[in-house]
Amino acid sequence: MRETRLWSWHLLVIPIIIVLLGLHFAIMHYAPVFYGVSVEEARNFETMIERGKSVSQLVLYILLLAAALYHGLYGLRGIIRELPMTPALGKIVDITVICVGLFIFAFGTYVTWWTFSYPVGG
Amino acid sequence: MNSKKSTAYNNRLGIKGWVYAGKYTFERYLYLAHRLTGMGLIAYMLLHILETANRMRGVVAWEGLMGLFALPLFKMIEYALFAAAVFHALNGVRLLMTELGFFLGRPKEPVYPYSSSIKRHRPLTYIIMALASLIIILGGSSLFFP
Repeated sequence: MRETRLWSWHLLVIPIIIVLLGLHFAIMHYAPVFYGVSVEEARNFETMIERGKSVSQLVLYILLLAAALYHGLYGLRGIIRELPMTPALGKIVDITVICVGLFIFAFGTYVTWWTFSYPVGG
Repeated sequence: MNSKKSTAYNNRLGIKGWVYAGKYTFERYLYLAHRLTGMGLIAYMLLHILETANRMRGVVAWEGLMGLFALPLFKMIEYALFAAAVFHALNGVRLLMTELGFFLGRPKEPVYPYSSSIKRHRPLTYIIMALASLIIILGGSSLFFP
């Protein structure tokens, strides 16, 4: 039951990732096509800070971070757990994946929050 | 090898089991590509978060890093990342539809000439891969010739 729930979450976050990662690509990598500004301009420090001060960006990026980390690390855990290993080693893999995920999520959230709270005018 | 170990782990090929697709079908190779792109994307994502944190070191550090990413080599890496993400996403949508039972046809008795669910699913596979190829080509042209 627990594995079914974890697998269901793995599938449920897919639409979130597709939409938000699509937006991320459009803004950061395909700005000339979708927004009519150069990539350099879109990645400029001031532009990046200005964008990062939006509440919607703060929320959506944290959501993307959580969804992509969960999807990616759950997938990676599945690949590793398919390899021959003892149950004890499997448990260590699970705990390591959870710890890495939580650390990266906390760090990514901190960076996003840092951008959001960056003082106007530097 | 002790008997307990061989009983516990028999029929598990380890990494060879998923790397070598042998005589299996197109979908089996897509499975392999899905795994490889997935691992590449998660590895990149972890690096990307660390790289994004560079903004906290200030304007000069950030602009220096962005200058580096404007080099042709990094443009190629960026494009490979885009291609991997598009393939992984669209193949993932195909897998999701398969998981939910769509486009597999009705179950049939195994009477000759056989019609497997994989064969009935094949047109969708081709359509999705054609769509992925189109997006990847368009993405490349927009990235390199804006």
